[in-house]
Amino acid sequence: MVSKKLTLVNAQGFHMRPATTFASAAGKYASSVVIKHNGKDIDGKSLMNIIAACIKVGNEIELVCDGPDENEALAETSALIESGFGE
Amino acid sequence: MRITDLLKKQGVLLGETPKSKEEAIDILVSLHEKCGNLSDVSAFKDGILKREEMGTTAIGMEVAIPHAKSEAVKHPALTAITVPDGVDYGAPDGNDCKLIFMIAATTDGDVHLEVLARLMQMLMDEAFTSQLKAAKSVEEFLQIIDAKETEKFPDEVKEEKGEEKGYRVLAVTACPTGIAHTYMAAEALAKAGEQLGVSIKVETNGSGGSKNVLTAEEIANCDGIIIAADKSVETARFDGKPVYSTKVADGIHKPEELINKIINKEVPVFHSDKKADAAETTQNESFGRKLYKHLMNGVSHMLPFVVAGGIFIAIAFLIDTIMGVKMDGNFGSVTPAAAWFKTIGGYAFNFMLPILAGFIAMSIADRPGLLVGIVGGLLASNGATFADPGAGKTIPSGFLGALLAGFIAGWLMKMLEKLCDKLPRALEGIKPVLIYPLAGLGIVGVMMCAVNPIMGVINTAVSDGVSEMSKNPALIIPLCALLAGMMAIDMGGPFNKAAYVTATGLLASGTNAAYIIMGAVMIGGMVPPIAIALSTTFFKNRWTAEERKNGPVNYIMGLSFITEGAIPYAAGHPLQVIPSCIIGSATAGALAALFKCTLMAPHGGIFVLATIGNALYYFLSLAIGAVVGMLLLALFMKKKKA
Repeated sequence: MVSKKLTLVNAQGFHMRPATTFASAAGKYASSVVIKHNGKDIDGKSLMNIIAACIKVGNEIELVCDGPDENEALAETSALIESGFGE
Repeated sequence: MRITDLLKKQGVLLGETPKSKEEAIDILVSLHEKCGNLSDVSAFKDGILKREEMGTTAIGMEVAIPHAKSEAVKHPALTAITVPDGVDYGAPDGNDCKLIFMIAATTDGDVHLEVLARLMQMLMDEAFTSQLKAAKSVEEFLQIIDAKETEKFPDEVKEEKGEEKGYRVLAVTACPTGIAHTYMAAEALAKAGEQLGVSIKVETNGSGGSKNVLTAEEIANCDGIIIAADKSVETARFDGKPVYSTKVADGIHKPEELINKIINKEVPVFHSDKKADAAETTQNESFGRKLYKHLMNGVSHMLPFVVAGGIFIAIAFLIDTIMGVKMDGNFGSVTPAAAWFKTIGGYAFNFMLPILAGFIAMSIADRPGLLVGIVGGLLASNGATFADPGAGKTIPSGFLGALLAGFIAGWLMKMLEKLCDKLPRALEGIKPVLIYPLAGLGIVGVMMCAVNPIMGVINTAVSDGVSEMSKNPALIIPLCALLAGMMAIDMGGPFNKAAYVTATGLLASGTNAAYIIMGAVMIGGMVPPIAIALSTTFFKNRWTAEERKNGPVNYIMGLSFITEGAIPYAAGHPLQVIPSCIIGSATAGALAALFKCTLMAPHGGIFVLATIGNALYYFLSLAIGAVVGMLLLALFMKKKKA
């Protein structure tokens, strides 16, 4: 299991488009992708779960990936968050 | 922000049959338009389409949520349609969409994200989405959403229901002047309530009367009442409720603590009979009492101007006396040092009436009144008219005009504030910076330019009458009594000016009668401050502490022939002070004329002693007049409670 702490940088927060991008990126991997936010575990492969968590700009999150390709999964998903989803 | 607040009945259509994604979008956009949520329909639609180009907003489970954040949105809103036969929305799971919500978000704030998140949390429940898809009527559709939201976010519903019933905590704030602290405490309490998630309503007992008054029903339903006040407030109405009384400063500095005291039930129940005395109401203040309070607010702010300016002018006379200059019309500003004191003192005097009127108006109408009152007071003090707005030749309406200006400006602004309540909320921000000042300035300008010429007419009539009288030597004593009395009527207004101008005008003729008249006029202007000073010395219980403190200065001003020293007192108690002063002045004037006292200098008071003929009797007349004024003041003014 690998994990990384991050801060959401895109101004609009985790709205639908970044959530879609993130969920589809996470979905490619066999490993589980979990976003820890505000004491809750959010399934990073579920668009609806991500949006429902209402993660805003400046919020701290932790990405936790667990499985055979966990390193690759964490690398790609954390890169997405750090890039601010191109916003 | 609840979904059901954003989604109106007219914003929902059931059983739609769009052939394509574009048609579905058209329907939802037009629903937003129908609800009046948009300022620019095509710009909003462009935003929606642009978002769809970046990727479909279909989220699976036969649901799509097209959305746009746009300047074209007036306020955050939702619309929804159901499509029983489904429409191809390019969903990732390949299914047609049967339930579509469209979010219109404003560009500020996180409402967009919050609505999206909340909608999503609810839509994750499949039973909920299938219920929505099967809804038979719009009412049913909204009811399903409301029920689900209530189930999902119970805390919030409790709070909102609480608000429907009333407020958990009530508060009353008040301070003696009722201008700043009352409102600061109210704001602090309201903010703290919001932070603690406690519904609170705060009544302010300010100088403009009570605002946001608590109703009997609200009092009955609340948990308890906070009283943050430095003066008595009406408490009888709180009988049987927990009441916590404290200083207004606590309301400003520790509002959370106060609210928690009520919430944690640390406060004993209040019984009004226990301190019925303390329940002296400020709400039932009589009209007269309110008038007095406004008046005193103006007077207390004006006092420093009068005192400092008056002493400066007296110093100017003193310097010229020491330098031994010629005692003519320029006396008091001949030597450069005297001129400096006289000019600076004069500037302080120039502010006297504007400050008086400004702070009366501010006491009535809060800050919006200030500008209107100050300008009104200035117009009264320089006598502007429509024909002569620069007031080069006209007669000022003086301090009586300034009083009028202050009260009218205050009431006017209060009316204006009431009228402006009906304006759209969007204009709220520009009301205090643009609408009130602009409208107020215009109205007060028109009003005072209309009042001043009336004063001019009075002045002319009086002047004509007086100069007619002065031609008859037999009438010299009554004339002198009249002129001296006139000096005390308005202390700078049309009567005073008429008397003074008549006397100085006659001075040029150089006759003995003219010198006698001049002497009477000056004595008439010297009596009021001295009478008041004597009264504050010997009849202390007629005056407030502040009025007593400023009493001694009036000896100096009176002896210097600076009648203005009496204005703060006359403004504060016009009905008592003015008649007393008039009679005192008239007595002194008549006596001075009887003793044939003469005066060759137009002003200067005691400093032009050398030009006074029969000086001893002159001062005797002055003393008698002042004592008469003092005794009358003692008679007319009510004794203050110890």
